[in-house]
Amino acid sequence: MTCVEVRELLPEFAVGVLSVEDREAVERHLGWCAGCRKEAAELGAAAATVAFALAPEPVPQGLGDRVVGRVRQAAGAPGSSRRVRVTAALALAGLVAVFGLGWGAVMAGRADRFADRAAIAESRRTAALEQFQRVLASLPRPVPEQRETFLGQLAPAAPDVQGGGAALEIVSPTHLDMLIVMVSGLHPADLEALPYRVTLADDAGRVLRVGQIAELDADGSGDVFRQFDHTDLTGYTLVTVMDARGHIALTGRVDQTPVSPAP
Amino acid sequence: MEGLLAGNEDAVRALYARFARPIFTLGLRLLGSREAAEELTQDVFLAAWRKASRFDPNRGRLSTWLMTIAHNLAVDRLRRETGVTRPRLVLVEELPETPGAEEDEPFLERDIALRALASLSQAERGLLARAYFGGLTARDIAEADGIPLGTVKTRLRTALIKVRRANQDKERAP
Repeated sequence: MTCVEVRELLPEFAVGVLSVEDREAVERHLGWCAGCRKEAAELGAAAATVAFALAPEPVPQGLGDRVVGRVRQAAGAPGSSRRVRVTAALALAGLVAVFGLGWGAVMAGRADRFADRAAIAESRRTAALEQFQRVLASLPRPVPEQRETFLGQLAPAAPDVQGGGAALEIVSPTHLDMLIVMVSGLHPADLEALPYRVTLADDAGRVLRVGQIAELDADGSGDVFRQFDHTDLTGYTLVTVMDARGHIALTGRVDQTPVSPAP
Repeated sequence: MEGLLAGNEDAVRALYARFARPIFTLGLRLLGSREAAEELTQDVFLAAWRKASRFDPNRGRLSTWLMTIAHNLAVDRLRRETGVTRPRLVLVEELPETPGAEEDEPFLERDIALRALASLSQAERGLLARAYFGGLTARDIAEADGIPLGTVKTRLRTALIKVRRANQDKERAP
């Protein structure tokens, strides 16, 4: 889309009436075009003014507490340790920057290490995340700025499911966002469960397809990753691993607590 | 904003105290129920907290940023519920022309908004309301009014630019 085409759409973009396709095309353009981004910001500010002109309605009692509660809950979600996230962000962002992303090699190496410890079912979830962090921490840096890397643990969705996993998400304003999901300890002999389909959803119920895990290693481990060409993964935190029967095997949330790069 | 970024409860409460009413009001007008408006309000503050690191005060006002999040979330919700690719919002009355005396408390952003909208003609206010609250595209409006599509787009742009200029004048005023 050229600047001329985008600018013709910007007034409707500002008031939120473009089709999804046009909106995404405009957003992609704004990602790199500072001139159009400036105009979009100005028209957007004007459109927001319209909303403020409405005669204000009283808000429900207790809504403030519920808002604070939701933010507090999100801020205190498990696995949100600042140190963990900074370490992962440093390592993975470094990998992306320095090597131009050799994902295939990284995944292959990870699978071997992952297979080394599928010992006790109870400890699998924690172990997966720890291993994930260790792999990442061993990778080179430095770190491009403005890139956020987030981690989450996957746990069995039902009592009769074994295993666990980890998810790593990169959200960047200037690069393609991506998600890596690794599972471990699933039943490797349960061939009817294959392939596992992995999805990523936000709280509003929008679901993105991440991909399939078509086969498992002997210890029930596997992985999938995807770059998202057109989607900002901000807000997409719910990872679901579903087997071929349509049963949810593993689920978990990526913690998207914002964090600044370590000094 | 630093407080919001850190998940600071006081920062969230301060933001809530200042912006909850207009956000809830927008949700009520667009979504049509208090329950949906409450959900939207919660979603907006959660989204603001999550995206706090991306807010750049050099690029715009905090109020604009929050209201843009609110409008986008409401439009996305309507799209999901109606299954269409563009929003079909509820129709509302036209925007007020001048500040009224109906409010029991002063609200700076509303005062600025009303003064900015007062710089528009009635037709321009109606056009903005039909698009922003009614979800009508330029093509919808062109077909409904029997005027060329290009004319509607130009008028919409002109109206937005007028509002923006009025806001800038207000910000520059002593």
